[in-house]
Amino acid sequence: MGKISTLLDEVAEADIKNVEVNYRGIFQKTLARKICKTLVYAAKEEERTGFSYGRYSDAPERNGVPCKYFAVVAEMSEEDLEAEAGAKIEPNDVNVSIVVDDTMVKGVEPWGFSGIRPINEKVKLGGTLLVVSERSPLELLKNVAKKDFPYKIAVVPGKHSFSGLWVYKDDFTDARVLGALARIEPDIVGLEALRKVVPEKLGAEKIDALNDGYKSVIIKSIAPGEGIDWPYSIPTLPKWHEFKEGIVVKSVARGGRNEDYKRFTTRTMRPVIRFDTCIKCDLCWYACPDECFDPTPDGLFDVNYNYCVGCGRCAEVCPVPNTIVMVDELKFENNDSPYHEYKKDKEAYIEWADQKMGEKRVNYPFVTGTGLIEENVKKNDGEKG
Amino acid sequence: MAEEIVFEKIKGIHKVPREEFYSSGHRTCEGCESAMVMRMFSKASGPRTIALGTTGCMYVANTAYMTTPWVIPWMHTQLGAGGSAALGTSAGLRALMKKGKIPEEKINTIAFCGDLGGADMGLSAISSALQTDYDLLIILYDNESAANTDIQATGMTTWGAQTTFTPTGKVKRIMQTRWKKNVAGMLAAGHPNVKYIATAIASFPPIDLLNKVRKALSAGGPAFIHTLDPCPKGWDYHPRYSDKLGELAARSGIFPLYEIDHGTAKLTYNPPKPRVPVKEYLEKQGRFAHLKDEDFQYIQQRVDSMWEDWEIPGIIPVRNGTIRSEK
Repeated sequence: MGKISTLLDEVAEADIKNVEVNYRGIFQKTLARKICKTLVYAAKEEERTGFSYGRYSDAPERNGVPCKYFAVVAEMSEEDLEAEAGAKIEPNDVNVSIVVDDTMVKGVEPWGFSGIRPINEKVKLGGTLLVVSERSPLELLKNVAKKDFPYKIAVVPGKHSFSGLWVYKDDFTDARVLGALARIEPDIVGLEALRKVVPEKLGAEKIDALNDGYKSVIIKSIAPGEGIDWPYSIPTLPKWHEFKEGIVVKSVARGGRNEDYKRFTTRTMRPVIRFDTCIKCDLCWYACPDECFDPTPDGLFDVNYNYCVGCGRCAEVCPVPNTIVMVDELKFENNDSPYHEYKKDKEAYIEWADQKMGEKRVNYPFVTGTGLIEENVKKNDGEKG
Repeated sequence: MAEEIVFEKIKGIHKVPREEFYSSGHRTCEGCESAMVMRMFSKASGPRTIALGTTGCMYVANTAYMTTPWVIPWMHTQLGAGGSAALGTSAGLRALMKKGKIPEEKINTIAFCGDLGGADMGLSAISSALQTDYDLLIILYDNESAANTDIQATGMTTWGAQTTFTPTGKVKRIMQTRWKKNVAGMLAAGHPNVKYIATAIASFPPIDLLNKVRKALSAGGPAFIHTLDPCPKGWDYHPRYSDKLGELAARSGIFPLYEIDHGTAKLTYNPPKPRVPVKEYLEKQGRFAHLKDEDFQYIQQRVDSMWEDWEIPGIIPVRNGTIRSEK
């Protein structure tokens, strides 16, 4: 009896196609939902069943925290599909894992005790990791964990779209991702069905973007063992009998931090600091809602990048131009203390910081959904980063 | 010997205690201002403090799966139980001290609640806590929505704002048609026993909140602080501008900053005239993106009236024996 039911499970699972969208909480929530919903509508156009849903345990969603949205498509009745896939927090594996912000390839940790997980964790044998990025699949692979079976990394060329919540910045990323998906896995959703559904659900003007996504996607096969050894271990949740009476959680020791939840995977940008131009006003330390700045004996402040979520408040309040600048997270390899590097070799650190900051600065509008603008500034002259 | 509690006024950012009692590693949004309220009140109150948190963002975010960023003891209590938890804790400490079970010393009791937990559901519990003579402080951290459960409107949501309960539509533009409650003023007017009441913004003016917390804790009885917390999630603005939004709320006069110390009211920040137009504050938030000029004018007129027509500007809307109720 047990054997038969396992066999039935396998048959059923083979028919179900799973797609997940890894997105940045709130910033990209509307985008992720649009992608999954449109995909399901297109599947219905092909007379298949499907539904889309957000991962329950991501709620309450927070700005920047890695979250997931899912679409499930199958050739079976709605009742059967719901019984198979409806009551799960997330699928065991997915055919395509879409990543709408490429900094998430460094790993995702949505909550405490989840551990920092590889972005391709759920990609199944022969499946695809589809990333919206300006980088190539091989560049991204430098951050991605190795798997013991072959799969693909595909890239839809483009900047991550922080499309916002109430105000939706429509840069057509949704249609381009769907176009790419139709090219990678025509079994999940065909281009013809999408051409019918996209004008109605996402807007008639998006047809070109859909075709562009289909054409421009770069697909690279990844062999078993390609990628990095994953440096993070996955913690095990305490069992119910290991809890202390009254669900007591041990407090943080004085001077310490919450060791069980370092949350740097929330970050897309990190603050880079020029300690030599710092005027020791303490404002960055005062304004940090994540308590990341550590006072040093000489009045400067070290940053603990393990806890920094990259909100940019320090860069905003810093009164000295180009002293704290937010820089793309993928340009960095580790979370080492910048102050120690500075103390080791001041000149080398300043040169390194300058090179990371580059010449371009991002101009942040107040409402995220109205779009980020990159502009050139002369160093130490004009607007701060 | 336990550490002594310091109630000295903090003069300047350089004098702010460096030690954190609310540490890194909490699942709050990027740029969260309510996390700043937690950080600042615990800095001001120091290690001899018991914190009590009702359900809301600052409960769920700070107990993410059996982990905590708190250094001081903290306890979760129900959504509407901020006042009762503060009262019970404070009474318990007094009883233990009277019976000689624990040494006589000052221990700060601080309960915090969000705007749904404090200003809507928990209002009666707060009211009864403020009627006693127990030494306690209740902090209402107000981000103008139930942001923890995905941004529903509350009694504190600004008129016209978009929330998941009040989405803008093609037929009806404004769904949030209620005006924000005046909680601090209401509690001050109705609770003769309350020793200290204040409103504050964590980022503006700097250090103001820390000193108000210290004043409240040394007031010798029940105290209440209402903070306005710009919320990058529900207000839909870039997290780096939390400080700026707080500053604009004060400068535009939409959120008056005052304290009522043993019955004497005083504006702690008087927005210089001409006040910054409220539009400058509202247009920087995605939740007001659907407002038209007439809506901005309406909000401006209500804010102006608060400063020009009220008996005590920004605090008490009474004049000549009648309570003003604007349309």
